[in-house]
Amino acid sequence: MIEEPYRWVEAIANRREYIETQLASGSPIAAVGFRDGILFLTVGRARQKVFEIYDRIAMGAIGHPGDIERLRMAAIELASTEGFTRSAADVSLRRLAYYSLSPLMKAAFEQIFGAPYLARMIFAELGTKPNDDFFLRLEYDGAIATNGGTSAQARQDFGVLSGTKNSTELMESFLKDAYLGSATLDRAFRTALDAWSVGRMASGDDAVKEMPSREQIVAHRKNELTLSSIEAAVLERNATAAIRYRSLSDDEIKSALGDSE
Amino acid sequence: MDRLSAAFDQATSGASDDFPALLRRKGLLTPAADVSKIGDTSKWVQTESTTILAFKFAGGVLVAGDRRATAGNTVVYDRADKVLEIDRRSIMAIAGVPATAWEMARVLEHSFQFFRRTQLQEMSVDGKVRALSKLLRDNFGFAIQGIGMVVPIFATYDSAARLYFYDAMGAQFEVTEYAATGSGSPAVRGILHYENSWGKKPLHKLHEDEAVTVALRALDTAAESDTATGGVDRSGKIFPIIKIVSRDGITTMPERKIAALFKKTVA
Repeated sequence: MIEEPYRWVEAIANRREYIETQLASGSPIAAVGFRDGILFLTVGRARQKVFEIYDRIAMGAIGHPGDIERLRMAAIELASTEGFTRSAADVSLRRLAYYSLSPLMKAAFEQIFGAPYLARMIFAELGTKPNDDFFLRLEYDGAIATNGGTSAQARQDFGVLSGTKNSTELMESFLKDAYLGSATLDRAFRTALDAWSVGRMASGDDAVKEMPSREQIVAHRKNELTLSSIEAAVLERNATAAIRYRSLSDDEIKSALGDSE
Repeated sequence: MDRLSAAFDQATSGASDDFPALLRRKGLLTPAADVSKIGDTSKWVQTESTTILAFKFAGGVLVAGDRRATAGNTVVYDRADKVLEIDRRSIMAIAGVPATAWEMARVLEHSFQFFRRTQLQEMSVDGKVRALSKLLRDNFGFAIQGIGMVVPIFATYDSAARLYFYDAMGAQFEVTEYAATGSGSPAVRGILHYENSWGKKPLHKLHEDEAVTVALRALDTAAESDTATGGVDRSGKIFPIIKIVSRDGITTMPERKIAALFKKTVA
């Protein structure tokens, strides 16, 4: 089968369709830069979805838990050995993703007799200045999207991850309009939560195609939060310790949520 | 089918490997020295000798160390930091060969973080204490060749202050009151025993200022007879490093405060 180019293309296309279907129901993750760092936020039932990778790098993922674990372990091993043999300053998300994770995922995806990684990930690396914050989305086939500015697109101070293309685009468009990089944690938290709602409403069976209204977003969130709980973590810019990653406690989440309900 | 030629090892360790094992697998950590090949060690000049002390007081554990690094009779460096923060609540203080000790501290620091990141939980105190023990054990071949002896103290805090000292082979001893290591330690141990038994208060009841005073006096006494201990350099204004581990984490005594206390209670 592999000798025939057409069959190979067909096999890859099938595989892509299969993975997309599997990922489609994943709960979105919003990563937004704010005045004092970067906030990761998602809503889920049980499984942890946001992780610490290194001093200044965090990761969120959707997909199969087993595959996420393998990739998470690989990322931590790479970052840790680099941080140990050189220095923490030499650990870079760009190198980690472009030179190690992406080739690995592409290879696994295209070797049609082996299993691909059923996972899509969002990474963020905290910069010394908000302008240096780096967001990177890594696809199951090794494709990478970043927040970097080009001549055609302004630099964004957020990154999103969702199950479908439609959902991802709506979340991005929501954050582009609603989001201010100089926001406080509470403000960033609420905007990220709204972005999550937008992403959630735009995925699944009855996915919305247009941007939902404010009322719809609030109603959706209220409904979802009765079943699931918020998971959030921050990378703190001004912390004195080398390790900037911190999960938000339930109390912090409650206080950030405030009276927005 | 060809194996994937990815840029990194696919066989991730999962829960089975600790960080030193991972480093060895990747060839990034020197293998343990062969104990059977002990040559003539008389030619080696060691950089070691120091005084480290630690004791429990009312506010947690105080760990103090002088700043001198020596090679034989020569003072190599007078601002060495031998009291090292390993994580938010753990300190390793070292007497011995700096090259080995600092590398050990680095491996240890990364081990704890690696464990927390991969396993999504903090390593237990017993696990941490054991991790250092294993590193010392791996280093034993170098230690008996006379080129890498390290004798650390480990202080940490879980529900209470915990303090351990080690021998060069990796045996760990938990202490209830105080520990001292390095060439100046006999003098220090005498002072701490005296203070604890017949001083104004036992060590564990001392307040912070009183505890720092005891530490400074003990280091100054050690430096009096031990050339390898720096004590307090009065002209150069170099003061010992003093750190405190408590429920809230680690605090480093600011030099200003040590200088003021030194002037008032020691000099």
